[in-house]
Amino acid sequence: MKGTLRLARAELRKLFTTKALPVSFAIAIALAIASVLINATVAGKSGSPRLGTDASTYQMLKFGAIACVVMLILGILAAGGEFRHRTIIPAVLATPHRARIFAVKVAVVAGLGAAFGAVIFGLGLGTAVLTLSAHGIHHLPPGIGSLYAGTVISSVCFAMIGVALGALTRNTIGAIVLAIAWVLFVEQVILQNIAPGVEKWLPTGAAIGLTSPPGAAHFLAPLAAGLVLTAYALVMLAVASRTTIGRDLA
Amino acid sequence: MSTISVRNLTKRYGPVLATDDLSFDVQPGKVTGFLGPNGSGKTTTLRILLGLAAPTSGTATIDGRAYRQLPDPVRRVGVALDSNTFHPGRSAAQHLRVIATATGLPHRRVDEVLGLVGLSDAAGRSVGGFSLGMRQRLSLAGALLGDPGVLIFDEPLNGLDPDGIRWIRGLLRSLAAENRTVFVSSHLLTEVSQTVDDVVVLSRGRLVAETTLSELTERTSVVRVRTTDASRLFDVLASAGIQVRLVDGSTVEGRHASAEAIGLAAAGAGLPILELSRQDEDLESLFFDLVHQNQEIAA
Repeated sequence: MKGTLRLARAELRKLFTTKALPVSFAIAIALAIASVLINATVAGKSGSPRLGTDASTYQMLKFGAIACVVMLILGILAAGGEFRHRTIIPAVLATPHRARIFAVKVAVVAGLGAAFGAVIFGLGLGTAVLTLSAHGIHHLPPGIGSLYAGTVISSVCFAMIGVALGALTRNTIGAIVLAIAWVLFVEQVILQNIAPGVEKWLPTGAAIGLTSPPGAAHFLAPLAAGLVLTAYALVMLAVASRTTIGRDLA
Repeated sequence: MSTISVRNLTKRYGPVLATDDLSFDVQPGKVTGFLGPNGSGKTTTLRILLGLAAPTSGTATIDGRAYRQLPDPVRRVGVALDSNTFHPGRSAAQHLRVIATATGLPHRRVDEVLGLVGLSDAAGRSVGGFSLGMRQRLSLAGALLGDPGVLIFDEPLNGLDPDGIRWIRGLLRSLAAENRTVFVSSHLLTEVSQTVDDVVVLSRGRLVAETTLSELTERTSVVRVRTTDASRLFDVLASAGIQVRLVDGSTVEGRHASAEAIGLAAAGAGLPILELSRQDEDLESLFFDLVHQNQEIAA
C-alpha cells in the first residue's frame, strides 16, 4: 500500500513537471469560459433560445467535450510519453512490477480527469451564473447536477481511454492524431452518415449522451451512456495492459 | 559468491539469435568489463538481467534472484543503460525526484548525487538542453541514487570528454574499492582497459573470453630474448611448451608466456641471456582477433 502511494505521488510528479498539463488545462478552461460567454452573447439571436431559458443555459454549459478531448490527450501523453521519451526504462527499473505501474498510472490519470472535469464544469457554471446574474436572471435548470456528473464521468473515461491508447500505440503523435480523427471525423461525420443510430453506442456518442441535457434526442440516456463509455474504457485498458505488461522494452 | 550470474542464456528475436547459451559470473570488489562489438548481444544480456526483456531460455540473476524478484531494487542495483531515458521538458533534479519519490528515497539524495556527478549547477535546467556528456552524467546520477551494491553501466564513456572519461574511470575504481560489483559494457577494450579487472567478451551472442585483464594482457605479450645460441633456446622453449619464434641467429620471441618463465627456462639450459624485453601487443588487436575468430567460426 505504501509502495502504491509512493508510485501515485511519482506519477503526479511526472504529470506536474512537464508543460503539457498546465498548458492544456489553461487552454481548455479558457475555451470553456469562452464557450459560455459566446453562447450567452448569441442567445436569442438567429433562432437561438432566449437567455435565461433552460435550453439556453444548457447550451451555455455544453462544453463537456473540451474536458474529454483534453483528458484524452493527457492520457495519451502520460502513457505514450513514457515510451516516446523512454522514461519507462527508469520507471520499470525502480518498480519492476509493471502491472502495478500501469494500474497506478490509470488511477492517477483517471483521478486527474475527475478533478479536471469538476473544476472546468465548476468554472463554466460559475461564469454562466455570473453572466445570467448580470442580466437579472437567477434561475438554473434542474438538470445541472446530471450535466456536472456527466462531464466528470466522461472526463474520467476519456482519460482512461487515452492511457490505453498511449500504451497500445507507444506513439504519442500518432495516437493523438488517430484519437482526434476518430472523435471529430470518423464518428461524427462518417458513421453518422453511413450508419445513423450506431454512433450513440460509440465512445464519443456516449460522451455526448452523458454531457447533454436530459431528454436529448438521438443519444443514450445519461446512465446508459455512462455504462457504455465506462465499458469502452475498461475493455481498452484490459487490452492495453495485456499487450503492454509482458512486452520486451527496447 | 558472484553477485551477477548468467546461466545458459539464450535470446532469440525471430530468426536472429541475440545471445547463444551464454554463461558467466561477475564478482564483487572488481570492475568487470562486458565487451564485444556492436550487435554482439551485450545490451540484450543487460536488458534480460534487468528484467526489461524475457529470455528465450536460461537465467540471469543478481544476488541469486531475477531482477523482478529483488526487494527494493534501486537500493541494490544501480543502472545507467543509456543517455536517452529522460523527458526533455523535465529538469535533471525533477527526473531524479520522480525516481526518489517512487522508491521512497530521501530527496536529499538527489542533491547529493547531482553533486557527485558534477551537475549541481545544471540541476534546474531542462534535460532537453543537455549535451550527451551531461546526459551520461545524469544517467550515472540515477544509478547512484539508491547507493546500491551492484552497478551496471552500458557504454558509460560514450559522449564524455577526456576530463569526463578520467572522472568516470576514477569513479568506477572507487566504487569497486568499496567492494561493490561494477559491471561496465563497452565495444572498445582500450576504452576500459585502464579501469577493468576482469573481462567478459562476447561475439555474435557467444562468450569468447571470461578472464582477468592481466591474463588477457599476458596472452598478447611477446618476450624477446637475445642469447648466444638462439637455435638452442628455441628448442628449449618449444620443449617447455612455450610458443616460440626464431627471429635471427641470436634472437627468439616467446608468446603467451611470462618473462620470468622464459628467463628461468634459459637459465635451466645454461644459456646466457644478453637481453630480455617484454613487448605488449595492442590490446585492441587481440580483442578483434577474439571476436573475429568467433565470427569466422559462425560463418
